[in-house]
Amino acid sequence: MTKFSRRDVLLGAAPFAIAPLCKLALPGDAQLASARAPMTHRGHEHAVLGHAAMIGADVPAPGGPHELDRLLVPPPVLPHRPGRLREYDVVAVDRELEVASGVTFAAWTYNGTVPGPVIRATEDDRLRVKFTNGGSHPHTIHFHGIHPSNMDGVFEIVAPGQSFTYDFQARPYGLHLYHCHTTPLKKHIHKGLYGAFIVDPPKPRKPAQELVMVMNGYDTDGDGENNFYSVNGLAFYYAKYPIRVRRSETVRIYLANLTEFDLINSFHLHGEFFRYYPTGSTDQFEYTDTVMLCQGQRGIIEIDFHNAGQFMFHAHQSEFTELGWMGFFDVVD
Amino acid sequence: MESTAAAARAPGGSARWRLLALVPIVLLVGAVGLFATAGDSLLDLVGRNPPPADEFDIRRVSFDPGEIRIRVTNPQREELTIGTVTVDDAIVPFSLDGPRTLKRLRSTTIRVAYDWVEGDPISVGVTSSSGIQTTQAIAAAVETPGASGRSVLGYAAIGFLVGIVPISLGLLWLPSLRRADPRWLAAFMALTAGLLTFLGVEALSEAFSLQAGLPGGVGGAGLVLLGVAVSYLSLTFLSSHLARRSRDGSGALGGLALATLVAIGIGVHNLGEGLAIGSSFALGELTLGTFLIVGFMIHNITEGLGIAAPVAERGHSASLPALFGLVVLAGAPTIPGAWIGGFLANDVLGVLFFAAAAGAALEVVVEVTRFIIRRAPVPLSSGYVIGGFVSGIAIMYVTGLLAA
Repeated sequence: MTKFSRRDVLLGAAPFAIAPLCKLALPGDAQLASARAPMTHRGHEHAVLGHAAMIGADVPAPGGPHELDRLLVPPPVLPHRPGRLREYDVVAVDRELEVASGVTFAAWTYNGTVPGPVIRATEDDRLRVKFTNGGSHPHTIHFHGIHPSNMDGVFEIVAPGQSFTYDFQARPYGLHLYHCHTTPLKKHIHKGLYGAFIVDPPKPRKPAQELVMVMNGYDTDGDGENNFYSVNGLAFYYAKYPIRVRRSETVRIYLANLTEFDLINSFHLHGEFFRYYPTGSTDQFEYTDTVMLCQGQRGIIEIDFHNAGQFMFHAHQSEFTELGWMGFFDVVD
Repeated sequence: MESTAAAARAPGGSARWRLLALVPIVLLVGAVGLFATAGDSLLDLVGRNPPPADEFDIRRVSFDPGEIRIRVTNPQREELTIGTVTVDDAIVPFSLDGPRTLKRLRSTTIRVAYDWVEGDPISVGVTSSSGIQTTQAIAAAVETPGASGRSVLGYAAIGFLVGIVPISLGLLWLPSLRRADPRWLAAFMALTAGLLTFLGVEALSEAFSLQAGLPGGVGGAGLVLLGVAVSYLSLTFLSSHLARRSRDGSGALGGLALATLVAIGIGVHNLGEGLAIGSSFALGELTLGTFLIVGFMIHNITEGLGIAAPVAERGHSASLPALFGLVVLAGAPTIPGAWIGGFLANDVLGVLFFAAAAGAALEVVVEVTRFIIRRAPVPLSSGYVIGGFVSGIAIMYVTGLLAA
C-alpha cells in the first residue's frame, strides 16, 4: 500500500524557474572537474563481466557529461573577512528526477537537484539564506553548525508559497550540512532535501583540487529500503564519467553522508591512502583508505595520489556499491 | 422479458425482431463512445486515480552458462518501462530481445551476462521507470534444460513412468475384481469415487493457489470457474451421449463407457500433474529423484484400480485393445503435460489445466455415484459404499505423502 504514496507529488511543479534564482557563484572554470569522460570503454563485442563492464559509456547511469559539475565542484573559497555578507537563495521544488538509468524518483529538492546546492562561507561571514518554499508540502532548512535557536529550522515551518530568511554567523569552520527538519522527518530527508555546507577556516587550507561528495540513497518503491545509492545524486554517474584529477596536486573531498534508512555509509579508495579529518574542524586526521559515517556525519579527505591511472572509489558496503554508489578517479600526470 | 413476449407473438422470429435485438448493443457502443470522450472529467468528480502498481510479471527465469534470461510481461493496462535490472540486489547491465516499454500483456526477454553459482539461491529484480521493483527468488540456480531431443525424451520417460506404468499395473487388478462379490465391487466403485474426489479437491486447490500468484489482469477465481465449468460440462455432454448409445435403459453409465469417463477424468488430472512436475523441475523448484518418481508411481497405481472397477461389473467385458486405450487415455497426458510444463511454464495454462482436472474429476464422481445408486446391490448409505469412499480418500492421502 505504501507504494502509492510515492507519487503524491505535483508532476508539473515549475522546476525550470530555478536556475536564475540561484545566486551561487559557479566555479569560473571547472577545470578540475573533470567530468569530461575519458573514453575508457573498451569496445568488447562479447558480454563483459565484473567491474570492467561498469566503467565508461556502457554504464547504466543517468545524466550527461558535466551535469553534476555544480554539485561536485564547490564555489571558490574567499579570504577571511569577519562580518562579510554571504547571500544565497534556496527554493524548494518538487521535481521528477532520473536518479538511476531509466528510473525516475518523485523528489523534493532544494534548487532542483538532489543533493541541493553547495553552500559555502568563510568562518565569521554573515550568512543570509533566503528560503522560498515552492513545493507542495511545508519545509524548512536546518543547518548544522553554531547558530541561535530561532535560526535552527525546526520551529519556523515554511508553508508552501512562503519564505523565511536564515541569518547567522558562519561557524565553526569545517564541513557541515543542511537538510529539511519538517515532520515526518524521514520522508522529508529521503525525498531529497539536503546538501553540503562548507565553512572555511580563517587561515586558508592549502590549495587543492576541491570536490564535494554527498552520499545518499533512494527508496523508489516506498518499502523503507533504498533501491539505489549514489554520490551527488545519480547512481553510477562517476563510473560513466570518471573524475579526472592531476597527480601533482592534492585532491580534497568534502564528504557528507545523508543516506536515509541505512545505519551507515562509507567511502573507500582503491590503490591509495588519504588523510581523513572528521568534520574538518580540527587539524587531527586519520591516515586510512576507508571511512565509515552515520547519517549526518561528514569529514574532509585529502589525497596525494602516488600513481596515475584509474582508481575506483565506492562504499565499502558491497550492496551499496552495486546499487550505484561507485565511481572512478582518472588520475593523470 | 419483453423480447421473449415479442418472440412469442411472432413464432419463428422475423428479421425485424432479430434486428431489434441489436439495438441494446448499438446503444451500448454509443454510450461507451460518449464516455470515452468525456470520461476523465466524469471520473474527476470522484477523485484522482491512484498511480498504477507498475509491477512486472516475471514469467520465467532461465540459466545458461554465463547468462541469465528473464522473461517479463506487463500485466497492467498502463504501459510499463524497464528501468534497471538487478541480480541479488546488484544493478547489472542488460540487453533486451523486445522493446523496453511494454504495452499491456506484452512480453520481452531480458538477457544478463552473469557468472551465477550453481545450486545457490538467487534473486532477480526488474525495476520500472517509476522505481517499483519486482523481484523473484529462485531456490537454486541450475542450468535450464533447452528443448533438445534429449530433454524431450527425458520428460516423456518421466511421464511414462509416472502416468502409464502405474495405471497399467492398477488395471491388473481387473481379474480379481471380476471374481469379487457385487457388494465388494460397489465398495471399489465407491473407492474410485473417493480417490477422484481427492484428486478433484487437490486440483482445485492447486488451481486457486496458482491463480493467486497471477497478475491481477489475468488471474481471478473466474478463470478457475471457467476451467471447471468447461471440463465438467464437456464430460456431462460426453456421458449423456454415451448413455444414449448404451443398451440398457437405466440411464446410468456402466462398464466400458463409465471406465472411459473415469479414464478421461484421470487423464485430465494427469495432464496437470505432468505440467506441475515439468515446470517445477524446469524452474529449479523440484529435485527429481528416484524417491519422488516412486512416490508418484505408488500414488497413481490406485488410479488404475479406479478404471478397472467399472469394467469388472458382471456382464461387461473389455478387449485387450480397449483396456490399452483406457491406459493411454488416463496415463499418456502426463507426457505432453511434462513437456508443456518443462518448456513453456505458463501459469495461466497451469490454472486452466488444474481447474479442468477438478471439473473432470467431480463430473466422474457424479457418474460413479449415479452408477452405485442405480445398479449396485447395496445402497449409498451402506458400509460398503461409505467405507470404500473414505478408503479411497485415505489411500490417496497416504500415498500422496510419498510424492510430497
